[in-house]
Amino acid sequence: MSSDRKGPTPSSRPPASFSRAVFAVAWKDLAAELRSRELLSAMLVFALLVILIFNFAIELAPSLRPTVTPGVLWVTFAFAGTLGLNRSMAIEKDRGCLDGLLLAPVDRAAIYFGKMLSNLTFMLIVEIVVLPVYSLLYNTNLFVPGLLGVILLGSIGYVAVGTLLASMAVQTRTRDVLLPILLFPVIVPVLLSAVRASGGFLQGLPMEQIRPWINLLAAYDVIFLAVAYMVFDQVVEE
Amino acid sequence: MIPYAISIKYMIGGYAVIFSILAIYLVSFFVRFRSLQRDLETLQELESEDK
Amino acid sequence: MKPQPKALTFLTLLSALFLAGALAMVFLYAPLEAVMNYVQKIFYFHVATAWVGMLGFIVAAVAGVLYLIRKDLKWDIVELAAVEISLVFFLIAIVSGSIWARPSWGTWWTWDARLTTAAILELVYLAYLLLRQGIEDPERRARFGAVYTLIGGISVPVTFLSIRLWQTIHPAIIGTASAEAQGGFDMAPAMLHTMFFALIAFSVIFATLLWQRIRLGKLAEQVEQMKLKISE
Repeated sequence: MSSDRKGPTPSSRPPASFSRAVFAVAWKDLAAELRSRELLSAMLVFALLVILIFNFAIELAPSLRPTVTPGVLWVTFAFAGTLGLNRSMAIEKDRGCLDGLLLAPVDRAAIYFGKMLSNLTFMLIVEIVVLPVYSLLYNTNLFVPGLLGVILLGSIGYVAVGTLLASMAVQTRTRDVLLPILLFPVIVPVLLSAVRASGGFLQGLPMEQIRPWINLLAAYDVIFLAVAYMVFDQVVEE
Repeated sequence: MIPYAISIKYMIGGYAVIFSILAIYLVSFFVRFRSLQRDLETLQELESEDK
Repeated sequence: MKPQPKALTFLTLLSALFLAGALAMVFLYAPLEAVMNYVQKIFYFHVATAWVGMLGFIVAAVAGVLYLIRKDLKWDIVELAAVEISLVFFLIAIVSGSIWARPSWGTWWTWDARLTTAAILELVYLAYLLLRQGIEDPERRARFGAVYTLIGGISVPVTFLSIRLWQTIHPAIIGTASAEAQGGFDMAPAMLHTMFFALIAFSVIFATLLWQRIRLGKLAEQVEQMKLKISE
């Protein structure tokens, strides 16, 4: 039992090598994805399917669109996101990459931030594709600068918690079903405030009504990045 | 004002639910305790047979 | 398993007495409320069970953090015990509140901050139990459980704030004019006494249940270890 083993403390190494390790981990994922493209294609097709299903499930009548659009978008992102998170951690586990990474002389937190960065990139790519498709299909202009900012903030919060929980979920017996069950109840603040803020921008509400939601999103991002940074060690300990 | 007849029905329903959930929990507690104790006894017997 | 300590036997009897006392105060001492009359009597147990749920939630989060620092499985047992008790008592609080809301607000459910947060907390704890079920190694199970209670312990208050920001129609307990319009009420002194007595009674019940549940957890750990030893 090596329960007392801890990664090297971040203060003991120069910051340059920490950020280099983060980018190396993220780049490894992105390069692998560039070659296989299996993760992104699955996430994208799934996201488009969800949007299509929403069209039949709830009448997306033009008069309802401004109020329903943010909800539909965020549910789509959240579903596609779990698909991606699960897969990206499962690949690590199955190919034994995680063990290799853990043996490497890098701070464990760098592994977390690297994985988080690559997961965030995948999610943002999906969102960048979904937005114009949705605008086109439902004739709604989604290219509001504020909305893009909200999507970035929301995705960071989602991926910050998601990466941590996914690395726990893949180490359990019920790994494929567990991630959404673990993730959704704790991600409620992100989804709620992201939907409210997105809706605010789409309906052109004054900034005073949107700002509390943006603040909440930013606070959630900061808190959970910090918490995940502190506990990631415990999750990957072997 | 809520009519007495309706109000009293909901009150009885409420307390019935409160106490049934509590009772179910306590029963499950005792059942688990019992079966664990039995497991422990069987395991102890097995262990003494091995020796 | 060691026999039940005397203090625990005493505490168990004390909780039974307190429960009977709280019931007596609710039905014999507290006056009828003017508007809601009988159904308002659910309020005392509703608040008290919600309070126990909160206590369990706090104990679980603290035990989780202590486990992560100390790596002592005893904190894992405390954490699981607190989660289970909190789960049961929040369920009671939600269902009893729902039954009280039906005649007084005309609806079983509202998406108010406290109600929704309690429901989400139940889901967090169910997810926690599922997570534990999927892990066989006790040490890893404890570690992951502690991390998840920590995440839940931080996210649930944030959830509460975010829903509060969204909307609230839950009554303030001690009534103002506007709270009364929403289904709140003014508390007579005898009602206040009853509420505080119920809160104390359920705190004692919480302590008893927690202790008993910790003993159960220790027994389960003992059985698990013996099984491992024999199968080797």
